[in-house]
Amino acid sequence: MDLKKVAFSPDDASNVVKECIEGIVGGVDYSQNKVNQWTASIVEHTLTQLVKQGKPFKYIVNCAVMQKSGAGLHTANSCYWDTTTDGSCTVRWENRTMYCVVSVFAVAIAL
Amino acid sequence: MYDLAKKKAAHLLKKRGSLSSLSSHEVKAKETFAKTKDSISTVSYMEELGHHDDIPRPAVQMENTYQLSPTRRFPVLTVTSYLQEEKYEPELCRQMTKTISEVVKARVKDLMIPRYKIIVIISIGQIRDQNMRMGSRCLWDETCDNFSSHTFKNSSLFSTATVYGVYFE
Repeated sequence: MDLKKVAFSPDDASNVVKECIEGIVGGVDYSQNKVNQWTASIVEHTLTQLVKQGKPFKYIVNCAVMQKSGAGLHTANSCYWDTTTDGSCTVRWENRTMYCVVSVFAVAIAL
Repeated sequence: MYDLAKKKAAHLLKKRGSLSSLSSHEVKAKETFAKTKDSISTVSYMEELGHHDDIPRPAVQMENTYQLSPTRRFPVLTVTSYLQEEKYEPELCRQMTKTISEVVKARVKDLMIPRYKIIVIISIGQIRDQNMRMGSRCLWDETCDNFSSHTFKNSSLFSTATVYGVYFE
């Protein structure tokens, strides 16, 4: 049994997230009808890909999709956890008509 | 106000021996003009606060499975009191998101059951006839992990606050 704690790797996670976003909203324009299903599929898809990596983490995936209209948006997060094992990663993506911000938080579980 | 929250947060962290991570992202208000390129993606930066504790805590064998009680009170009070009178301004809101997230986290930490890890996410945006959707999915143990969220709106800005609590075995 492996007793060493594995630290979270933000780079791996950010690649997974980028691929998921591209796959789901890659070449499309913002559409109010579809945004509901986009956010749901982005988070679910990201979560399943992360779980497939088989690492001992609990995950929280947060996604915000916003239409481009000249408005500004700020997000911030603050976390109380063990920094040696837990971590987060946020990817900000945009195209011509919308912004998408996806955050992944990974909290280690003791095996 | 921000310094006070920062000091308080650092003081609380000293006792527990963990590091607080703060990160923020901003989408700037841009004029809309046609762009030929399709999409760009960027990765965020992180600001580390507090101090490092070199002594690792030993793994605890006991198992408690208390349900996290709803944390509805804190996000509501904090967010509403900070933002009641504000108009959206980029500089102010950038600082405000960080401050509110630190303060909410500190308050939740004060009153919650020990052995919970806390994640607080705050978003503040300008209202300008646009549409926006936020969603989140979590992979955790349903019997002991939970979350709570609240949204606030005034004439020029909106804000969402979400607190997640994850049990540490």
